[in-house]
Amino acid sequence: MIASDRKQDRKTRERDKYAKKKSSLANRYGLDYMIRFLFIGRRSVRAFIIPLLSIVLGLLVWQWLTQTHADVILDFSNIPSPLHVYKSFLNVVVTKAYWKDIYWSLYRIALAFTIGSIVGVSIGVALGYSTVLRLIVAQYIEIMRPIPAIAWVPMAILLWPTTEQSIVFITFLGAVFPIVLNTWDGVKRVPVELVKAARSLGANRISVLFHVVVPYAIPNITVGMALGMGAAWFALLAGEMISGRYGIGYFTWESYQLIQYGNIIVGMLTIGILSSITSGAIYLLKRKIVPWSE
Amino acid sequence: MKDIGHIEIQRVCLGYKSVLDTKTVIQDLSLTLDAGSFTSFIGASGCGKSTLLNAIGGHYKPLSGSIILDGVEITTPGADLGIVFQQHTLFPWKTVKENVRFGPMRRGAGRAAADKLADEYIDLVGLSGYESYYPKMLSGGMQHRAEIARALANKPAVLLMDEPFGALDAQMRASLQDSLSSIWENTHVTIVFVTHDVNEAIRLSQRVVIISRRSGSISAIIETNRDHDEPIEQYMQSRRTQELKKRCLEMLSA
Repeated sequence: MIASDRKQDRKTRERDKYAKKKSSLANRYGLDYMIRFLFIGRRSVRAFIIPLLSIVLGLLVWQWLTQTHADVILDFSNIPSPLHVYKSFLNVVVTKAYWKDIYWSLYRIALAFTIGSIVGVSIGVALGYSTVLRLIVAQYIEIMRPIPAIAWVPMAILLWPTTEQSIVFITFLGAVFPIVLNTWDGVKRVPVELVKAARSLGANRISVLFHVVVPYAIPNITVGMALGMGAAWFALLAGEMISGRYGIGYFTWESYQLIQYGNIIVGMLTIGILSSITSGAIYLLKRKIVPWSE
Repeated sequence: MKDIGHIEIQRVCLGYKSVLDTKTVIQDLSLTLDAGSFTSFIGASGCGKSTLLNAIGGHYKPLSGSIILDGVEITTPGADLGIVFQQHTLFPWKTVKENVRFGPMRRGAGRAAADKLADEYIDLVGLSGYESYYPKMLSGGMQHRAEIARALANKPAVLLMDEPFGALDAQMRASLQDSLSSIWENTHVTIVFVTHDVNEAIRLSQRVVIISRRSGSISAIIETNRDHDEPIEQYMQSRRTQELKKRCLEMLSA
């Protein structure tokens, strides 16, 4: 077969695969997706039963460790049992305070992440375009980036007039560095031929920025945003535990201080769920905007 | 013949300047390209033909001398100087149709007008039916045809092509060459075509300009004087064409 025929076959197969994927999802979306989710990828009974049994076994081990107050290296005598956690969860989920805490954490994340994204993408693009700016700014980034969010807490409290502002600032710092670096990397990678082609089509420099550079860099930008979201949660919890008044991080820390140990685990799991949902939202956004980068 | 797209290259020197020295690739080259003509640049690798093409396109500032398009000096790239590269430069996040209408839309045409224009040129290059395909779903030859449509939809005065068919196999190349010939006969845009393939240059162009790597300027200009009523295969096999080919190869190795 000549090279062109082989290439044609591959392209045809790719095209058909794409068409088939579209139609199968559209027709059988609900059932297909559900089965795939439940069977964790493969449609075999084994792939469903074993993870389920593993979780059940894990819970039983946990219950046993806490019930017998085991104390070998790790001290389980004060750890709440699964049943206790479940009861605490039922108690707390009806209180207004719990939902208020969730609201406050989500509000801070939303605010800090939005500002962090705008600032981060702008600086990232500017660094990719301007050598002078890079020479001025890059070393500040290198110095500040390795400092973990927790280390910023005292500084932030001193700098900002209110506690609330300092918490949002710390969260912002968590989000902004991954976004700046990944955006910058994406802008750097734009092939020069693409820019030349756009200019030869009559686009001026601003058009090139918005219609060529940014679209090309969007996959990198969304990776930066996903990383930034994770880092933002980390920073937020550091801020809430040390200096907060509301928030799910504060709730978790306070549960320890009020000897409501069941709520510690409720708080941890709540944080895990919220963090997954927000990170998942970023990836979903990426798939909607960037369908060609599979 | 149109009367726009007349290029004057006047005593142009092109090269790379570094802190230590200046390396010249093209020395003191002068050439006139008539409006509506089809000219090929051929030469050994590194002779500067791509650099010269990029300079005509405004992507490259000459060290000295100037390039004039229809009486105005070329200093920046623009929609009058459409360019098609060997690498694929379709925007991967846009469909074929969105790619082709990119130029007209950036320059202010309304969406309906731009769409109509896009449809016209997609049809001209033979890609009707593929308007909503993304570039990665197309073969290499189809992508090149889309790039040509995208460049032409801007109605440029000049179309610059830098070894556009170099990476394709012989069948695809022959088919695209014929497409290009018929597009040129239809639109009469001035075409400047860089290639290292002598056959391709003779098949497509009216004039073949041979650039010497040693001297950095033109070693010969060969007119093909092709009679367009003559079928292409017959033309390529004729004695005259074989003579032309021999002359080109001689000049290339000189």
